[in-house]
Amino acid sequence: MSKLVPQEKYEKTKAFHFWRWLSGTKDPYLDHVEMKEQKEWKEEEQTIQDRMNERQMIHDAVYDMGRNKKQRLFHGIYVAVAIIFCFLLLVILLYTVSNLPPTGSPEKAVNNEVPERYIEKGLQETGAVNIVTGMILDYRAFDTFGESNVLFIATVTVLILLHYTKKDAAAKKEEANDRAFEPKNDTILQVCATILVPIIILFGIYVILNGHISPGGGFSGGAIIGAGLILHVSAFGFVKTEKFFTEKTYKIICFVALTFYCLAKSYSFFTGANHLESHIPLGTPGAILSSGLILPLNICVGLVVACTMYTFYAMFRKGDF
Amino acid sequence: MEILEWVRFMIGAIFILIGLCIFIIEVFGIFRFDYVLNRMHMAAMGDTLGIGCSLLGLMIFCGLNFETFKIIMIVMFFWIASPVCSHMLSKLEVTTNENLTEHCERRDDLAELERELEEEAKC
Amino acid sequence: MLVFQLILMGFLIVCAISVSFSKNLLNSILIYMSFSLIMSLIWVCLESPDLAITEAAVGAGVTSLLFFTTLKKIHAIKIEQEQEKKEEDLHE
Repeated sequence: MSKLVPQEKYEKTKAFHFWRWLSGTKDPYLDHVEMKEQKEWKEEEQTIQDRMNERQMIHDAVYDMGRNKKQRLFHGIYVAVAIIFCFLLLVILLYTVSNLPPTGSPEKAVNNEVPERYIEKGLQETGAVNIVTGMILDYRAFDTFGESNVLFIATVTVLILLHYTKKDAAAKKEEANDRAFEPKNDTILQVCATILVPIIILFGIYVILNGHISPGGGFSGGAIIGAGLILHVSAFGFVKTEKFFTEKTYKIICFVALTFYCLAKSYSFFTGANHLESHIPLGTPGAILSSGLILPLNICVGLVVACTMYTFYAMFRKGDF
Repeated sequence: MEILEWVRFMIGAIFILIGLCIFIIEVFGIFRFDYVLNRMHMAAMGDTLGIGCSLLGLMIFCGLNFETFKIIMIVMFFWIASPVCSHMLSKLEVTTNENLTEHCERRDDLAELERELEEEAKC
Repeated sequence: MLVFQLILMGFLIVCAISVSFSKNLLNSILIYMSFSLIMSLIWVCLESPDLAITEAAVGAGVTSLLFFTTLKKIHAIKIEQEQEKKEEDLHE
C-alpha cells in the first residue's frame, strides 16, 4: 500500500489508532500488548514418516479391492448406476427432442413470429442497420451482458490461479529463461510491429465503431485489438507495455465498462417495461452516431474483450502484468 | 467495349491462374522437402508471390473502386507480416537446432562472409 | 456454391478427426487453427460475416496463441522432443 502521508504524520491520525486497535497491537484497557515472535513450527523427520506410513496403511486397507468386499460391492454398484444414469439421461433427452416441433416447421414461434418482428421492426425500434447487432445488443442485451461477465469471471479465475507477486531468485531465473529461445530485441520484428500495431488497433476500433452499420461489433473488434496488443508485447517485451497497461488499468476499464453496461441497459429495460419514454435519441439509421445505446454498449464490450485477451496472454506467459 | 471487357477478364484470369499454380507448387514443396528451412522457403513464396498474383487478378476483375483499395491493404498486410513471420521461424530454428551443421553451412563471422562475396563478385 | 460448401464440410470433418488422432500436441493445435479458418469460411458462405470475423480473430488467432503459451509453460513441447529421441534410440 502506498502512503501519501509520511509515517510519523500517519501515526497521529485517527485511522492509524483505529487500525492499531483493530489489529490488536494496542488495547485501550491493557495499554501496549507486545506481540512475541513465535518459533517456527517444525516437524521432525520421523513423525512425518510415521504419518505418511499410517495414511498409506489406511489407504491400502480401504481401497484394497481384492479383499474388501464392501469396496468391491460399492464399485460395482457405482459403475452400474453410472451406466443406468447415462442411459436414462440419453432417453429423456431423446424423448424431449422427439417431442419438439421439427426444424423449420411453420408452427414454431421462433420460425415465424420472432424473425418477422426482428426483420420488419428491427430497424425502426433499434435504429441499427445491421439486424444482428440490433438483436444481440438491444433485444437480447442481457445475454451479451452475461457473456461479458463470463469473460470477466474467467479472467478473475486465471488471475487467482496464475498470478504471483513473489519474485525470488528461482522465479526470476525462470522468467529470464522463458524468453531464452525468443527474439529478445529483434530489430526486424520491432520495425514491423511499429508499422502493424497501430493499423491493427485502428482496424479494431473501426470494427467496433461500425458495429451497428456493417458486420462486426464488440466481440470481434475487441479480439482484434487484443491480438494487436499481444503482437506489441511479443515485439517489445513487458517493460514497454507496462507503461500503458497494468493491472490497475485492467481493473478500472473492466469495472467502468461492466457497470456502465449494467446501468444503461437496466434503465432502458425499466423504461421499456413500464411504457415510459427513455429519452435516448435513435438518430438517423446509417450514421455512426445513431441507434441509441448500441454504440456505447459495443464500446464497453470491446474494451472488456480486448483487456481479457491481453490479460490471458500476460498471465499465461509471465504470471504477472 | 466488349473486346476491352474480354481483355480485362483474360488478364485477370491469367493472374489468378498463375497465383493458383504458385499455391500448388507451394503445397507440393512443403510436403516434398524434409528440412524446416527448405519447407519454410516454399511457404514464404506462396504467402508473398501467390497471394500477390491472385489478389492482383481479383483487383483487375473488380475495377477501380473502394474494394480495390481494401484488397491493396490486404496485400500490403501480407507482404509486411509474412516475411517477418518466416524470419522469426528461421531464427528460432537456427538458435534451437543443435544439429544444424548436418543440414546446412553455418557462418558466425558475417564480415568475413561479406568479404568473400565481394571477392567473388570481383572475379 | 453448394459443391464448395460440401468440400469445406469434408475438410472440417477431416480436421476434426485428425485433431484427436494426432500424437503430437503441437500438430493438433495447428490442425485446430485450420479448423477455425475453415469454419470462418463456412460462416461467410452462410451469410453471417459477424461470426466469421469473430471466429477468425478468436479461434485462429488468440486461442491458438494461448494454447502455444500453455504448452510452453507446462514444458510439453520439450518433453515430446525427448520422447521422440528415446523412440529413435530404441529403433536404432
